[in-house]
Amino acid sequence: MASLKLPYLATAALSGALFGAGLYVSQMVDPLKVLHFLDFTAIPSGGWDPSLAFVMVPAVIVMFIAVRLGKRRQAPLFDTAFHEPEYKRIDKRLVGGAALFGIGWGMAGICPGPAISLIAFVPDNLWIFLVTMLIGSLAGSLVIPSGHSKRLVDAQ
Amino acid sequence: MESFTPLTAALGGSLIGLATAVLWLGNGRIAGISGIFGQLLPPAQTVVWRLVFLVALVLATFVTAKLFPGLGVGGVEPARLVEAPASWGVPTPVWLGIAGLLTGLGTKIGNGCTSGHGVCGLARLSVRSLVAVAVFFGVAIITVAVTGVV
Repeated sequence: MASLKLPYLATAALSGALFGAGLYVSQMVDPLKVLHFLDFTAIPSGGWDPSLAFVMVPAVIVMFIAVRLGKRRQAPLFDTAFHEPEYKRIDKRLVGGAALFGIGWGMAGICPGPAISLIAFVPDNLWIFLVTMLIGSLAGSLVIPSGHSKRLVDAQ
Repeated sequence: MESFTPLTAALGGSLIGLATAVLWLGNGRIAGISGIFGQLLPPAQTVVWRLVFLVALVLATFVTAKLFPGLGVGGVEPARLVEAPASWGVPTPVWLGIAGLLTGLGTKIGNGCTSGHGVCGLARLSVRSLVAVAVFFGVAIITVAVTGVV
């Protein structure tokens, strides 16, 4: 199985390491920074911090180039196929799920990447967020029809 | 503005883009953290690489924080960061628990988060991801305004 070979795992490790460094350097790991970015009510007073808008743009550009490069190849370097999501429909599940996530993100200023990244600092209450995030994820998989789930799972 | 940090934000964003690019071109996988995290428990057949990815992510955060103290958390004591968000008189642990639950549930049902839809999805020109990003950003902005957590 490709996913247990050394180059495959080394790639996963390199990607994870770059991701962790990026989350720290960009300050996405700081929930207060994130909340100040999401706080549009502070725009009139000049207190809004737009910094994190500058995270998404280069990230998308770099990945866009990678996707273009990938299209020239039959397969990635260490696996037999690109695991691209097959499901294309925009449905209630997508919108509802994104909305629920939006509430959670706006409440704590923590999205899944920084939730993991923050483990490095051992903050007091982080475990609560991590455990409930896993419970929420498990609960979510119960309400998704299995056929739908299967098509999406391979893509993740 | 003192707290405005576009350069480090862009540098960090480039690293995140590089991370997703490496995983895509190397293993053909989308670096969506909610997906990687949400499938950690068996019987997922691909637990090992997900664990390797997440452990590397935490270690790299730790090492980068040691090398560049204060850069990533704006000089705020990291242990206090997760204490801060609470509103409406709800105790922080309860507030965080609800936030975590909604984050896990929402990213599972909506099949992605800031990285999967936001970085990888937009780069793949996925309309689904564009809709998801617009919705979770919009709702998060409304949530911050309504709850007054800041």
